Amino acid sequence: MSVPVLSVRNIEKSFGGIRAVRGVTFEVRKGEILGLIGPNGSGKSTLFNCILGQLRPEAGEVEVNGQNVSGMRASDLNRLGVGRTFQQLSVFPKMTVLDNIILAGQEHHGTMLSRLFGPGDAGLTNEAERLISFFRLTHLRDTLAGSLSYGQQKLVDAAMAFMAGPSLVLLDEPAGGVNLTMLANLKERLTAYNAEHGTTFVVIEHNMEFVMSLCTRIIVLAEGGIIAEGKPEEIRANQSVIDAYLGG
Amino acid sequence: MSQFLQVLLSGLATGSIYALVAIGFTLVWQAAQTVNFAQGEFVMLPAFFVLIGMSVFGMPLWIALIFGLAISIVVLGVLFKKMIVEPILPHGGITLIIATMALGILLKESVKEFYSAEAQPFPSLFPGDPINVFGAVLSLQDVFNLVISLGIVVLLTLFLNRTRTGRCMQATAQNPAVAEILGVNVKRMILYTFLINAALAALASFLITPVYLAKFSNGETLGLIAFIAAIVGGFNQIRGAIAGGLLIGVLDNLTAAYVTAQYRAALPLVLLIVIILVRPQGILGTSEGRTV
Repeated sequence: MSVPVLSVRNIEKSFGGIRAVRGVTFEVRKGEILGLIGPNGSGKSTLFNCILGQLRPEAGEVEVNGQNVSGMRASDLNRLGVGRTFQQLSVFPKMTVLDNIILAGQEHHGTMLSRLFGPGDAGLTNEAERLISFFRLTHLRDTLAGSLSYGQQKLVDAAMAFMAGPSLVLLDEPAGGVNLTMLANLKERLTAYNAEHGTTFVVIEHNMEFVMSLCTRIIVLAEGGIIAEGKPEEIRANQSVIDAYLGG
Repeated sequence: MSQFLQVLLSGLATGSIYALVAIGFTLVWQAAQTVNFAQGEFVMLPAFFVLIGMSVFGMPLWIALIFGLAISIVVLGVLFKKMIVEPILPHGGITLIIATMALGILLKESVKEFYSAEAQPFPSLFPGDPINVFGAVLSLQDVFNLVISLGIVVLLTLFLNRTRTGRCMQATAQNPAVAEILGVNVKRMILYTFLINAALAALASFLITPVYLAKFSNGETLGLIAFIAAIVGGFNQIRGAIAGGLLIGVLDNLTAAYVTAQYRAALPLVLLIVIILVRPQGILGTSEGRTV
């Protein structure tokens, strides 16, 4: 059996007296699209931040492609090939779409001298344009990111997450605030990317329709622990999931 | 016509130096979200570093200029960031603004106390010979000041827009948290901003002091005019600082030549009031939202 792309073991995280994440363990295999869902306060964002190095768990380990990355800084994780999108908008508003996407990949290589005197695009224009075209943003290539609609900025954010050629991409509420047309476009593009490149995704999302139609497997969290795990149709029919969401 | 051209070009020459200083306000604002009220003194001081290089160490002018630039970058760039900005910024932007006011007073009074209270002659970098430009008689010094200042602004703009480091500096100013996650060395980019600000202040000092003489109080007027120039042009845009600097330089000269020389000092303040009433984000600036 191959090494899992992401392995999370016994993660524990408390805030004061509240145990936000209680010994969560799961693995994600290459090419999977895993959804992490749960009602508000279930601990999914805390778990996400522990995986991404933005919170330090009290116990447990996180491995990416067999390498222990527990406690690693977010920027080092990014260099290791872990891409991410953000819940809040993460574009650089006064830079063009092209410059935003180049920036997302340029700090992965090069020396201090090449940063000062090397090509301004770090040789990444072609790669950035390929992603711009893939996410159907070609007509917005030279537009300032700050002047785009919210949904378009979400697409730029997604394209930025793929710029470093990641093996794993963590998507933090990608559907939040995006209109239905743009959402269908985003889902279709993510699915296509996954099919073409075999990139593994982990998605946190509140929009059930989006998660159920995008993900190949779903983990449900409630009160900091895993209460269910399975294919979307299994989760849809799971009584404990229904109870957790309805407060039963 | 030739007199108008003469007044215009001479105003542009002075305005381009104001622009260099005003860009410093913009850069520090973008890097630390604060206003450096010691900026005028940052322009006053480098000229004294040069004079010390020449009088104490016996350096020739050009070596003393390099010495002055290097000391300015260390003192007004590195030390300013490490000893004033970094320890005080966590306590809030307003605290830092007050600290920069105190720093301005300290620098001014130190020069007065330890160097001289009298205006010191500062060697001119270029000959003051008059030259004829389309009928307008200009001093060569004005022409060089204009060319050098605009050249520095062009180089800075190219650096910020065309190099990877420049793009990282822009990203740091626009969204530091995300820039850091994408691998940008945010602390280093902020340091670069302070180094560039110090270098710009030193270059402005070398260009303007031959005209004004080196005096401890030079920063008062310069700092105020450059601050107003940055607001008039748009505090959050480098191009705004350039536009504001050039506009004030030209209007100042036009007012002195055609309206009144007596009230020329009031002109930047009148312009400031008009801009705040009519277009508070500045001529080329953009509105910024804040959560309070």
